Amino acid sequence: MPMAHAVGPESLEATMGAGYVWATMLGVWMLSLLPWRIWHAAPELLLVVITFWSIRDSRRVGMVVAFLFGLTLDVHDVGPLGLQALMFTLTVYAAQSMQRRVLRFDLIQQAIHLLPIFIGTKLVTVLIGSFLVSAWPGWSWLLCALLTAACWPFVSWLLLLPQHRLNDAEGGSA
Amino acid sequence: MQQHVTLRLFRRGPAAEVTLTFLVLISIVLLFTDATWSKTNPVRLAISTSLYPFQRAVVFPRDMLTMFNEWANAAALIKSENEALQRQRIALSQVSANAALLSAENTQLRRLLGVLETAVDRPTVVVEVLYEPVNAFTRRIVFNKGSRAGIAQGMPVIDESGVVGQITRVTPMTSEAAMLTDEIVSIPVQVLRNGLRLIAFGSSAPGKVEVRYFSSDADIREGDQLVTSGVGGVFPAGLAVGRIDHVERNPASGFARAEAQPASHPERYRHFLVLQVPVGDGLTTLPSATATSSTEFAGATNKTK
Repeated sequence: MPMAHAVGPESLEATMGAGYVWATMLGVWMLSLLPWRIWHAAPELLLVVITFWSIRDSRRVGMVVAFLFGLTLDVHDVGPLGLQALMFTLTVYAAQSMQRRVLRFDLIQQAIHLLPIFIGTKLVTVLIGSFLVSAWPGWSWLLCALLTAACWPFVSWLLLLPQHRLNDAEGGSA
Repeated sequence: MQQHVTLRLFRRGPAAEVTLTFLVLISIVLLFTDATWSKTNPVRLAISTSLYPFQRAVVFPRDMLTMFNEWANAAALIKSENEALQRQRIALSQVSANAALLSAENTQLRRLLGVLETAVDRPTVVVEVLYEPVNAFTRRIVFNKGSRAGIAQGMPVIDESGVVGQITRVTPMTSEAAMLTDEIVSIPVQVLRNGLRLIAFGSSAPGKVEVRYFSSDADIREGDQLVTSGVGGVFPAGLAVGRIDHVERNPASGFARAEAQPASHPERYRHFLVLQVPVGDGLTTLPSATATSSTEFAGATNKTK
């Protein structure tokens, strides 16, 4: 069946079903409720997945979705309410403003593009957090941002697997 | 899986910058109201209550594993527990014989002096750790029982070796406690050796408790035991808090501070006891309680000078 490709930035976006997008985000969100994040430098997997979909499927996943997911994590982590929500919102805004540029690179180059965003938004939250409790939490947040960016290629590859398979199947039948 | 991509010529909905400004403003408002609000924020309460089923669901495999493990090793567990209890019973029988003697003597002396007997028995709730939250800034534990089990903000949490912390937030199904090493907790204590009254705060050094605002010539030294003094009414008197392991005297300011190792081990076990002390309006809010207790204390030290 021939696909009618649209003109414009949407043509770059993946054509995944809404169910798949939400299922992956909810799955990683549930994973984030588990205690593996107790390590201070643990990568923000949920942020990676939300940023991924905010670039690939910007009509479904935007800043509001990121904000709401961040808010639930704030409550779960009993930290300052709105801190992770702010980080998620800022990350998605920055990623979406670079969307067209980022999508023209391969996954590792994308990670390099996103690294300053992850570091910058994390820095904002660390600064606000330390202002609120008047204590500096150390530098593990920097490692966290690095690991988050390092997760990007793997997570993206995993999330794109169904599409690759679909493309392969289409290529085989054609 | 695949969808038809529709052509969109014009952007619909508000501009990204408008959404961003709006969300950033909400975050900042939430951050600052949450930091200053004495009661649990209603937004937090609503999200926390709806999160509870998911939190329980993700730890369900762990709970099942623990249950299975306990069931499978029941005999060995009971045997080792029984041995420990036997040892404890022998050790305690001597202590209790001595305590009975002291108690009788104490009642007699109290009667002589006309001092009223204070009630020591308090209702308690056994709680289990639901999870340890991820937070670089504070030290908290979330328990599996909340206001439905009669837990309220401000109640002390203890284990078998002493004070663990204080309840800071309560939702119907869960409650959150700040460890005594958390900076927001302050406990009225006294030195067991000489009765010197002090206030213990969570230290900026991780895993430590510190006492401050006492004059640099105060009689306090390394190895001194700190117990709750009962001043303030939230923490009952006589619970172990910690042992002084470092005293820092500053002759320039005239004040000293000391660091103590907490007596309790919140990281070791899963079960704790919440003491259902009456927490009035003035004591439910932790930050204001901290402020009042430290000013009262400062006032007290000024008077003694």
